[in-house]
Amino acid sequence: MAFLNLISVSKIYPNALQPAVIDFNLNVEAGEFVSFLGPSGCGKTTTLRMVAGFETPSAGKVLMDGKDITNIRPNQREIGMVFQSYALFPNMSVADNIGFGLKVGGKPVAEIKERVREMLALIKLEELGARYPFQLSGGQQQRVALARALAIRPKLLLLDEPLSALDAKIRVSLRTEIREIQQRLGITTIYVTHDQEEALSLSDRVVVMNNARIEQVGAPFEIYNFPATRFVASFVGTLNTLTAEVVDPATGLLSVHGQPIHAVAPLQEQAGAQVALALRPELLKISTERQGQNGDGDDASENTLKGVIETITFLGSIVRIDVRVGDSVVKLDEFNNPHLKLPKRGDAVTITFGREACLVLDRAARAALPA
Amino acid sequence: MSAALEATKIERAPAPAAPLQPGRTRRTFAPFSWLWWTIGMLYLGLPLYGTFVFSLQKTRGTLSFAAYTSALSEPLFLRTFLFSNIMAFSTIIVSLMLVVPTAYWVQLRAPKWRPAVEFISLMPFVIPAIVLVFGLIKTYSRPLQLLGITIIPPLTNSTMTTNVLLVAAYTVLSLPYMYRSVDNGLRAMDVRTLTEAAQSLGAGWPTILFRVIFPNLRSALLSGSLLTFAIVVGELTLASFLNRPAFGPYLALIGNHQTYEPAALAIVTFGLTWLAMILINVATGGKKGATVTGVR
Repeated sequence: MAFLNLISVSKIYPNALQPAVIDFNLNVEAGEFVSFLGPSGCGKTTTLRMVAGFETPSAGKVLMDGKDITNIRPNQREIGMVFQSYALFPNMSVADNIGFGLKVGGKPVAEIKERVREMLALIKLEELGARYPFQLSGGQQQRVALARALAIRPKLLLLDEPLSALDAKIRVSLRTEIREIQQRLGITTIYVTHDQEEALSLSDRVVVMNNARIEQVGAPFEIYNFPATRFVASFVGTLNTLTAEVVDPATGLLSVHGQPIHAVAPLQEQAGAQVALALRPELLKISTERQGQNGDGDDASENTLKGVIETITFLGSIVRIDVRVGDSVVKLDEFNNPHLKLPKRGDAVTITFGREACLVLDRAARAALPA
Repeated sequence: MSAALEATKIERAPAPAAPLQPGRTRRTFAPFSWLWWTIGMLYLGLPLYGTFVFSLQKTRGTLSFAAYTSALSEPLFLRTFLFSNIMAFSTIIVSLMLVVPTAYWVQLRAPKWRPAVEFISLMPFVIPAIVLVFGLIKTYSRPLQLLGITIIPPLTNSTMTTNVLLVAAYTVLSLPYMYRSVDNGLRAMDVRTLTEAAQSLGAGWPTILFRVIFPNLRSALLSGSLLTFAIVVGELTLASFLNRPAFGPYLALIGNHQTYEPAALAIVTFGLTWLAMILINVATGGKKGATVTGVR
């Protein structure tokens, strides 16, 4: 049995126009790092707060270590939590903040001192124990908040957008640190974020949520490469979604603005059905008319789409090119190098991509996804 | 990330300053600001100065502190001042116990009740003390009964219970000041998150209230307490009508019978109020420039 089970959990606030969480089912294994990823208002924080005990589910159950904790008070759940706004107690020093939970738990003074020292070493702030929260930077405050949550040796660690208030560089280094600490302690962790990069880089599994429901649960690689729904495809990473018409389901032949495209596998939709064709920008190649129809790939199995350059945006390590294909715009990325020869705005170009780059989205089309 | 790297970020960078124009100072005063300031200070200071000079003229032809010696050596002064101090401290404790949990709960769990609570807290402004004291005397000078059983005996029949009634009345009178102070203090911190952080660490309600909320409301509580103190020490109507030996009625009494001593006591009272304000300043000015974590 999994360490944490959320069974058909729903939350409906009184007088709310729509439910905050609908039929949420998830099993989290011991030691696993799971992220809830989704846009603001999708229900991820509400779900986390139901696990923490700050909200009571309108329906469903929360089991931890086989025990039903749905109606247990938050201070009796043995769950550590880190908040977006740090929530350090301003009247206490760093050491007192870290030792607060142990003091409340009635631990002996010597044990508290030892654990505080241990936690300060864990977050590499040994020399700052006597400082007050207002004397620390945001990154340091969040590390203290993490140490405080871990000091009580919780069964489960919850992190509610802990890096959102920090600047980009600190965010990247701190997320690496969080992952290292989590792996070293082997603590089961649930992490809420709306930042896909954070979720993909930290997690063993990602739960993508939208409109109060789970859209997809899977490993980061699976979520990114094989999105199960149009929402996941568009929310995780940059994705081009084109409307395509099924021409021959048996051979996986589609038509995008009158141009033939082959999917990697047969389609389940009938001929004439409209489907969403998703293409990742990094899997597309571009060639101008002068460079030949198929660019640098003469493989007949490659798909091509003809279009016209609309914009070219320099982003540092990559150059993003927007190509108009019919009434759609297809974005594609070229790695930057000093010898890169870029086409000009208005140039006619051909976009080339392999059959395996075609993600045909929506229910039945999942069968067409590469194994 | 190394601790050394983080340590370099401890000092907050000053806000970028707008470049100064050559020959211009950053802080400028309106042309007549000094004039208005002087007029204001004269308006406020002259009566005080006059009272002070008057209080020194008890001995004919010379300035002395004779009126102060006379007023402060009066046994009634010490007795009434002590009584009012005890009443003030009792009122502060009762007010804190009543207002802090209420304001905290409203902020945390019942924000929709805020307008109602604010309205109630402002009632003492619209109900004169004379109306309040007559209401209290009329209600509590006879036993309060429910179904023939006495719930509360007459409170005005003994010194002890009258004092209880006086403290309750003072609590009502100081409610607007105490509630405003506490509510402002609570609004300045992220009460919900701090409460939830404490809960996730195993703390129950008493621990949260006494170890997290009260200490972080220190300045607000001090402000409310000192305002309450000032109100109670100088209050006249309630103490007079409940016939208690308080400082307010004593001031009124000597004002009717003596000449220089009331002026001396007015200066003493003014000094005590200033002392209270300095205390507030000292208590709240200790962490200049600090940001409180958990603040929204």
